[in-house]
Amino acid sequence: MSAASAVTDATFKDEVLESDVPVLVDFWAPWCGPCRMVAPVVEEIADQYMGQIKVVKVNTDENPSVANQYGIRSIPTLMIFKGGQRVDMVVGAVPKTTLASTLEKHL
Amino acid sequence: MTTQTNPNQATDKSLEAMRHFSEQYAKRTGTYFCVDPGVTAVVIEGLAKHKDELGAPLCPCRHYEDKEAEAAAAYWNCPCVPMRERKECHCMLFLTEENDFAGEKQDITFEEIRTVTNQG
Repeated sequence: MSAASAVTDATFKDEVLESDVPVLVDFWAPWCGPCRMVAPVVEEIADQYMGQIKVVKVNTDENPSVANQYGIRSIPTLMIFKGGQRVDMVVGAVPKTTLASTLEKHL
Repeated sequence: MTTQTNPNQATDKSLEAMRHFSEQYAKRTGTYFCVDPGVTAVVIEGLAKHKDELGAPLCPCRHYEDKEAEAAAAYWNCPCVPMRERKECHCMLFLTEENDFAGEKQDITFEEIRTVTNQG
């Protein structure tokens, strides 16, 4: 089972903006190579920080509204949301250590 | 095990064209495919899919508000301007030797691509 659940244009507000805990959002697309590399890293982060953060993924092809609203260009893009605001962002297939250290700043 | 074609896949004709282009371009520029052939496979499938839909192999590793307009603008059509000018491919299709993820191959077969992309 995937630890990172799928969020859509319709559920983004409830699941991300109104979350009580910080949310890591993985913006990905089906035929994006580096998205394949970052997906297992995101899953590991979801396991490691379970209870402290929420981890979700957004398919940008199927959910263009959210992707456009947050100005997604290069994918994968990983964004951290806290209290309904975007507080940080990492672009590309980053190593787990990079993602973890970015996340730690907001816990 | 199912053998049905994934509806999100490209036509065989476009996939073969983009596969051939990728091999030729890697050799011409002295770049290499990723150590994970799954990365190479999905990117080539994505380029071929865009070629089918838009008439141009728009980069599948970006989000666009208007794909038709971007394809017409050509900046992100493969090989994109950053690749042609600076050998920068954020899709990780063409990697320079010093890249940690560069493998040793400049070839990939049609079957290797479809083995990966048939899995959705």
